[in-house]
Amino acid sequence: MRIHRVLLILLLISAVAASAAAQDQVVAIKAGKVLPVSGEPIDKGVILIKGGKIAGIGPNVTIPEGATVIDAASGVAMPGLVDARGVRPIRGELNEQSDEMTPAFHVSLAIDPKSKLLKHNLQSGVTTLYVSPGGENIISGLGAVLKPVGKTATEMIVKDDAALHITMGSDSTYGNDIPWNSPPTNFYYRRPGTTMAVAWMLRKSFFDAQKYAEAHKQPNPAMEVLVTALKGGIPIRMAARRAIDIRTAFRIADEYGLKIILDECTEGYKVPELIASKQTTVVLGPFYYYPHTFNQYSEGRECNWNNAGILAKAGVKVVLSCGADPDAADLLTVATFAVRHGMPADLAIKAITVTPAELLGVADRVGTLAEGKDADILILSGEPLASTSRVQRVLVNGRTVYQAEQ
Amino acid sequence: MKFRSSMALRVAGFQPAIRRRDAFDTWACLLLCALLALVVPPCLAYGGPVRKKIAIQAGRIIPITGAEIKDGTILIDDGIVKAIGKQNDVTVPWDAFVIEAKDKVIMPGFVLAHTSDGLDTPNENLPEVPFLSTFDSIDPPSPFYEDSLRDGVVAMLVLPGNYTLLGGTGTVVTPHGRTVEDMLVKRYVGLKISLAPIQSTSRMGHMQRFRRYMDDLKEYREKYDQRKKDAEKDKKPFDEEFDPRKQSMVDLLDGKLKAFIYCAVAADVPKAIEIIETYKLQAVLVLSPDCYKAAPLIAEKKLPVILDPQLVVWHTNEEKNEEEMKVVPQIFNRAGVKFALQTDTSSYGRRYLWYQAATAVKHGMNRDEALKSITLYPAQFIGIDDRFGSIEKDKEANLIFLTGDPLDAQTWVDKVMRAGEIVYEKDKDERLKKLLEKPREKPEHENTD
Repeated sequence: MRIHRVLLILLLISAVAASAAAQDQVVAIKAGKVLPVSGEPIDKGVILIKGGKIAGIGPNVTIPEGATVIDAASGVAMPGLVDARGVRPIRGELNEQSDEMTPAFHVSLAIDPKSKLLKHNLQSGVTTLYVSPGGENIISGLGAVLKPVGKTATEMIVKDDAALHITMGSDSTYGNDIPWNSPPTNFYYRRPGTTMAVAWMLRKSFFDAQKYAEAHKQPNPAMEVLVTALKGGIPIRMAARRAIDIRTAFRIADEYGLKIILDECTEGYKVPELIASKQTTVVLGPFYYYPHTFNQYSEGRECNWNNAGILAKAGVKVVLSCGADPDAADLLTVATFAVRHGMPADLAIKAITVTPAELLGVADRVGTLAEGKDADILILSGEPLASTSRVQRVLVNGRTVYQAEQ
Repeated sequence: MKFRSSMALRVAGFQPAIRRRDAFDTWACLLLCALLALVVPPCLAYGGPVRKKIAIQAGRIIPITGAEIKDGTILIDDGIVKAIGKQNDVTVPWDAFVIEAKDKVIMPGFVLAHTSDGLDTPNENLPEVPFLSTFDSIDPPSPFYEDSLRDGVVAMLVLPGNYTLLGGTGTVVTPHGRTVEDMLVKRYVGLKISLAPIQSTSRMGHMQRFRRYMDDLKEYREKYDQRKKDAEKDKKPFDEEFDPRKQSMVDLLDGKLKAFIYCAVAADVPKAIEIIETYKLQAVLVLSPDCYKAAPLIAEKKLPVILDPQLVVWHTNEEKNEEEMKVVPQIFNRAGVKFALQTDTSSYGRRYLWYQAATAVKHGMNRDEALKSITLYPAQFIGIDDRFGSIEKDKEANLIFLTGDPLDAQTWVDKVMRAGEIVYEKDKDERLKKLLEKPREKPEHENTD
């Protein structure tokens, strides 16, 4: 028995040592072109990685002896993509049906590290993603930023409780219709049933939170979250598609002095000046040619393919995302088509790397290639916005986590 | 002079009662006629359908069947390509209308080998309806056709949906025109057979139903022939009509129609092959993404295939606990199967044939071969390669003018030419402008969001 235990301990120690060695491993990427996003492109650049962080980047970086060299002479290296409204690696239901207000629900508690979606997503180049709770409650809870590698949710999470989610419009009224001929005591007879009620309930929650902050009775986790949000301690993300919902979102935000981030924003092109005047960042997506036919935009019938371009031109900070929809196009395709429809190419690249990283508050670690940043690197076969470029290799924290077959 | 003018009027059917003081009016009238004769025909030609002789001077021509031509000329007469070559090698006739397209890339318009979009209901709810035709269901104002033209498609085979055993016959149309008759390229093309079990039936029952139909058909045909023979023997008149509801299946068996067989899973492919071999059919396989697993079998049988719009699928490798990306065109290309690509509008990119081809190229497919899979191969599969699919002498001038390389995502279709007639111009595409430009400022009371 004792021998067994000793062996086990020895094994454990060696495993830890091995993983530490992997962390200390020096990797050098020689790329035909490096796009650091934070600076000018570097032809024939070298990226040096030590301990999972970028230790050097430039055209004349000396590669130390013993370093593992990744030769990508014909490839383009760029920062791993950041999806500010990524796919949801969650098993089971996304939406809590028992209540419309669940501000203290943490999506991080529902993350499934074995999720297939996450693995598919990683192969399209996404190395950091924001996971939001479902969108069918008015206040649905707190989202988390994570990297798609790791055995447990704790290992994966970069930043927990990264933002509080609110959904405007009529999504939260779905399923609240009273079944035909049933009395109002029926289980289904719940608020909200209209967009008016959505706005009213949202208002009331923040009103209650204000009162709660003043009175401070017994602790109430939901109220604590709302109070923190009221004080600006946690970013608020409001999903609003139609222009009318965008206006309502701003109206309520102004009443309580909230600073918000707009998600989806399908009809943002109708009110670009309003959004610009509020200095609000928008997270666009999912993108479809005819959104209403794909149940993404059931209340609206109009869209503009150049939503991103029009908003960017008005001075709005635009983030492109896959919109938490696993069937939507991948981020590089989304950016490619944003440019096709009228968005400047440099802004489109930023909109899938550094801008979302800043929005999520993780720009000190990801989103650009610079010394000291996490070595989350994407190697492509050509220019990122070319339809014939392919993701050849993905590194997360300096380790190759995906390599395309040759 | 006076005499001549009155003669002219008499010829034109006027009364010859001309007095001296009317001479001026007569002259004015004649002058007007002459002016009209000079001015009107060119005006008509401008707005009218076809200029007879056209010379396109292009920066780059991708003929598909030959090498690319830089600075080339295409000569068109009455909608037919008469010459294609380097600018110095082709003499432009003095009376040809010249289209300058030095900054454009010209290639044959795209061909879509299989679609059920643009039909009101693609699947009939009875399983055996081979006598139906999509010709009766095509809805010309459907946005699908408008979009297809905008995206550079010049011909498409509209077939019944994937979920009817014997769905009916298809129609090849061009996505331009006010009526189906206007759009028509070829009628009665291909018969759709689906191996996907419908409603609650099992695959066993589905196949059994098919075999029973074929047996019944054989029996009916033999008996009919016998009756005909007997009548001839007895020298009696024979006026019994062959059941028109069975005619398309007979044409299929006689090789006059091609079978388009839909396989919903890879396991349907061997069954499709069994059907093809048993009944000696000419066939094209319409495949679901799962059918990549049957690629070697399809390659062995040298069958032409139409791939699903979804080109990338995932396979869970249970042993390695890995998610493997399967690129369908790459697998078929490596197996040596000739295929045509399809489109849908489910997500960004997939709606364009060029994007589908770019996806294949991205994963290692030869560029020329990928371009063929959206032009020449689909044209061959649906039997219109004598008119569509490449720019060649004596073929119809079905061309697209592109603003850049066809596989570049920043390239747009600038013009579409159908048999020598320009049928689409991006500059005049108001709907596209509305989709890309900021909406105009509306007065407050009009703004309804």
